[in-house]
Amino acid sequence: MFKQNNPFAYNAKTRMKICGLLCLLAPVCIGAQLFYMQTFRHDELVSKAERAIYNFLDEDRWRGKIYDTNGKFLAESVRTHSCGISKRYVKDKKKTLDFLAETLGLSRRNIERKWNRNRNFFFVAKKIKPDVYMEIQPILRTSLGQGLDLTPEYERVHPYGNSAIDILGAANSKNLGLSGIELMFNSELSQEISRRRAKRARRGELIYDRSLKEERSVGSVYLTIDILAQYYAEQALAKAVKDYEPERGIILVQQPQTGRILAAASYPRKDGQSLAFQFTYEPGSTFKTIAIASALDAGVVSINDPIDMSGRKWEIARGVVVRDNQHDKDELTIPEIMAVSSNIGAGKIALELGAKNLFYYITAFGFGTKTDINFNGESKGSVPSYTRWTVVDTATKGYGYGIALTPIQLIGAYSAIANGGYLMQPHLVDRIEYADGRVQKKAEVQRIRRVIKPETAQTMKKVLEHVVKEGSGKKAQIKGYSVAGKTGTAEKVSKEGGYAKRHHVVSFCGFTPIEDPRFTILVILDNPAKYTFGGTAAAPVFKEVAEGLLAMEAVAPDRPEELQPDTKKKKISQ
Amino acid sequence: MKLFGIVFAISVFAFGVVMMRIEINRSGRSIGKLQNEVEIKRARNQYLELEVIRLQSPQTVQQMAQEKLHLRPTPPQNVMVLED
Repeated sequence: MFKQNNPFAYNAKTRMKICGLLCLLAPVCIGAQLFYMQTFRHDELVSKAERAIYNFLDEDRWRGKIYDTNGKFLAESVRTHSCGISKRYVKDKKKTLDFLAETLGLSRRNIERKWNRNRNFFFVAKKIKPDVYMEIQPILRTSLGQGLDLTPEYERVHPYGNSAIDILGAANSKNLGLSGIELMFNSELSQEISRRRAKRARRGELIYDRSLKEERSVGSVYLTIDILAQYYAEQALAKAVKDYEPERGIILVQQPQTGRILAAASYPRKDGQSLAFQFTYEPGSTFKTIAIASALDAGVVSINDPIDMSGRKWEIARGVVVRDNQHDKDELTIPEIMAVSSNIGAGKIALELGAKNLFYYITAFGFGTKTDINFNGESKGSVPSYTRWTVVDTATKGYGYGIALTPIQLIGAYSAIANGGYLMQPHLVDRIEYADGRVQKKAEVQRIRRVIKPETAQTMKKVLEHVVKEGSGKKAQIKGYSVAGKTGTAEKVSKEGGYAKRHHVVSFCGFTPIEDPRFTILVILDNPAKYTFGGTAAAPVFKEVAEGLLAMEAVAPDRPEELQPDTKKKKISQ
Repeated sequence: MKLFGIVFAISVFAFGVVMMRIEINRSGRSIGKLQNEVEIKRARNQYLELEVIRLQSPQTVQQMAQEKLHLRPTPPQNVMVLED
């Protein structure tokens, strides 16, 4: 009765219930909101939270190495840092700038200038080496270091300096390839993996998350380039550039039996711009080898056929006259034509072969098409269709005019002669090795096609040997070794039309030793400042490179009779 | 009492969770610091390796051989390979 009559008892209970309900209301609302967020906005909010809390760190984008054929590494990424300043957080400007100037070895005035030029944030120095980093890092937590920021980045380093840089190319501080091999194999060298999720605390301090993933399946690229061969090529090219001051220079070395490129030196040397694949030119007399090999292979001429040279003057068509001033004979055989580099002889042989057949052989030798090396910017040259050739066109193609080719195409054609008639697929990359153990072989020996018969190749070897022994290529001779090759001195197309008499491309292409050729070497000097010829400027460069390579591979002399007897004795007594 | 017990248990649990998160963060920080240290030491090591390679490069070897020992590259015909 008392309870029923006591309004306070009833009211207290009711009030408690109301309070309880009110207290519950908030959690229920929160719960409802959570349910709504978890159920209907889950994906959106998760990604928002990830973005707010976590950083996917770029500094963990690893990049593979690039090696030469012997496993010597040519390019590697090293972790460095950039030092930046947020002006508004710097407490004591004078002290901080003094510290930076001293530690980074920079002038105080330079830093001050940057300070005045920028509104808030600016980089004081980039690519800071680890030793300097270790000096700066501890002060970041002190008042002196307030406002300083060390941003991790990568530096692509080349232990051999600029050697082969035109092949290797460049990669940026974010470890992405920009040119050359770095760009060609960017996806293999640097994949979008190994990104670590981490929380970023104050002052860029990293707090690693539990679900830290570390996958590294980037590949390392092994080139066919031999860094020692490359060194010989670059050294010889630098010397030639000094002596003859050409606009451009190229030395290319290939293994004729496998098609592997051992060295590719270019002048001027630019990141990822190898002239060996990108330069196109009219070859001149080095192309006579192709025309004559084609004619011999087709059987339209034989090696000892006399070719008429009467008057050393030949009118191909009305008003188009070719002259030979380098000999005084009225008849020449093929070895003699090649030895004196007769344009009349090569032109007549090309006409004898005919436009269609010559075109067939030119394309079979690989001219006019890219090589499948796929180097960025590779040119395919220019071989117009034979249906548009006039008689003059056919004849001039016989001695290397009216056709544009690349060094890699020409060296491939000479290698075909050297190896017995097979056009080989050239290779620049040997293999890619991935961190997980996978190996992707790239440089399988691949014969593209047989271009000429083995007998023709054999005959051409003798013809080219004769060029070096008795003809224009004498300066390519190497004591104790047989050398086959051909010189070339081609006039360049003038801007005013026709050919410029004082602008030349001088070249030499050859191989050694003849019976078991180990190296095919092409030397090109484009537009030397000093008037010169393939035999006087390019042939000695060939010799220099070949000597280095023969010593490198310890190739035994195949013409030991050429060595002096006392040298032989000396060797035995050693 | 029962309610108090539940609230107390929840509080203890929440405290534990918070402590765990703090500990995880603390460990994360030190792992981050150690990782950084490892990276820096690795980079230092890389630079030293690079210096070794640079000193072994044909260019440096030839230069030093010529300057210090007055040697020059031998012609290929003077190279002898001794077989086993």
